[in-house]
Amino acid sequence: MASAQATAEQVERIIAARSKAKLVRSLIYAVVLLLVAWSVNTTIIEDTDWARMGSVANVLESVAEFIGIDWGLFPHLLEPALETIMVATLGTLLGVVLCVPAIWFGALNITPFMPITYPFARLMMTLSRSIHEIVWALFFVAAVGLGALAGVLAIAVRSIGFIAKMTAEAIEDLDPKPVEAIRAVGGSEFQVFVYAILPQVLPVMVGVIIFEWEINIRRSSVLGLVGAGGLGLVFFRQLNTFNHPGVTTVIIAILILILFGELVSYFVRKAVI
Amino acid sequence: MSILSVKDLKVRYSASGPEILKGVSFDVEEDDFFAIIGPSGAGKSTLIRCINRLVEPKSGSILLYGTEVLSLNSRQLRRLRRGIGMIFQEFNLVDRMSVMDNVLSGRLGYVGNITGLFRLFSKADITRALSVLDRVGLSDHVDKRADQLSGGQRQRVGIARALMQDPKLLLLDEPTSSLDPKISREVMALIMEIAAEYKVPVLCNIHDVQLAMEFCNKIIGLQDGIKMFDGPTSEMNTKKLDEIYAMEVL
Ligand SMILES: Nc1ncnc2c1ncn2[C@@H]1O[C@H](COP(=O)(O)OP(=O)(O)OP(=O)(O)O)[C@@H](O)[C@H]1O
Ligand SMILES: [Mg+2]
Repeated sequence: MASAQATAEQVERIIAARSKAKLVRSLIYAVVLLLVAWSVNTTIIEDTDWARMGSVANVLESVAEFIGIDWGLFPHLLEPALETIMVATLGTLLGVVLCVPAIWFGALNITPFMPITYPFARLMMTLSRSIHEIVWALFFVAAVGLGALAGVLAIAVRSIGFIAKMTAEAIEDLDPKPVEAIRAVGGSEFQVFVYAILPQVLPVMVGVIIFEWEINIRRSSVLGLVGAGGLGLVFFRQLNTFNHPGVTTVIIAILILILFGELVSYFVRKAVI
Repeated sequence: MSILSVKDLKVRYSASGPEILKGVSFDVEEDDFFAIIGPSGAGKSTLIRCINRLVEPKSGSILLYGTEVLSLNSRQLRRLRRGIGMIFQEFNLVDRMSVMDNVLSGRLGYVGNITGLFRLFSKADITRALSVLDRVGLSDHVDKRADQLSGGQRQRVGIARALMQDPKLLLLDEPTSSLDPKISREVMALIMEIAAEYKVPVLCNIHDVQLAMEFCNKIIGLQDGIKMFDGPTSEMNTKKLDEIYAMEVL
């Protein structure tokens, strides 16, 4: 009998708990719904120029303008495409150089003076990664003027974060035994780095650098939008002169470039690692 | 005159931690092959590592060829270390480098940073490396990567690297514990021959008492950071061993 009563009480308790959970859930749904409605209202309903968009037919018509390829543009894309790859490559290489202090300071087991150097390296990595490449490019265009140099600098700075973070983590995980051995033969800290640390993290580093290079091709192909050279600049020009098939042509060129980057990355990675 | 003279060595790994070595003293003569035996955790590795200051002792004195090791600055310490060969239980090779580069790394204490960086070792160093590799029986494996060798071969690379240093003292931390009994015996025999050829005293941690008795002329017995025995191998007996290893079953 006692057990039957206990069960009834238990049922009551569970039902009470469930209805409370249901209330909380409904509240969460309501809040999410409200947020969505608010966002749709501000970004789409109020912010869109409905009069200019016109009817559905008009929209389709505008889209149709982009169909087609401007064959005449292709010969003029070769140089910007090359420039895009060069910006990506130089930017990645410069990024690797700039990475060195971030890696050295940012790995807990080798950072020279933890309280200062470690936070400094982490700040470098975070700054590099949390600011968009377009914003970096705007900054460097302002600093060094229009052109590919600004693009190279933007790509380089934007690359520090990822390469440094992955490499520093690899260093933190490395096998300490060779490190001890090189210390024991009387090697300097620099020699310890070159002989015991670098060989262990080199495969990781090379993989990360290739991966970053591939991403940098994507990045550098849009940097022209803010005047930092490459295909993006051509894209921008087509858009401004309402040459819509030309826009499509540039997009296709960018696609080809990215595929090329992926292919190279795949084969290099296979060869190296 | 003794080559190495350790006095009242005390070690703690942290200020609040336990004392790992509680005042150890001993002397090493020119032709000594010392075995340091004792139960696991007695402080054998700690003791060995103090000699080249991979571990910093809290107090005491270590006189090596008349130099006080504990008062050296970092530059002098590197100079000292390059003259002390160390051989490790797990070989501590750089796996991704060739046997040759691993052996040449024994010269790092003698070359500048640039030489080290670009691996611009002199002809003399390379000739020496080849002859040392020949001495340890690895002539056929010069260009292999270190991780392609067997355990016994890897330890021979470790020995070759130590010999490249032109060592005035050899420190061995359980050089055979990662090897099977037969290879262990071969490696110990090789080390003993080489020590005699190069006239270097040896300080060797070893937990295989049998090997210690066979190859070493003197023994230090450590237990819980205290020296329990110090004398010629001939004076060691079962009763004293039982004392050193206390309750442990041999
Ligand atoms: N880096 C370290 N930090 C803190 N404590 C340590 C460190 N290295 C060793 N110890 C401690 O010091 C004591 C002695 O260790 P040590 O390695 O010298 O012993 P050992 O005699 O070599 O033992 P084994 O035969 O197992 O190698 C152990 O209690 C160990 O936990
Ligand atoms: Mg040990």
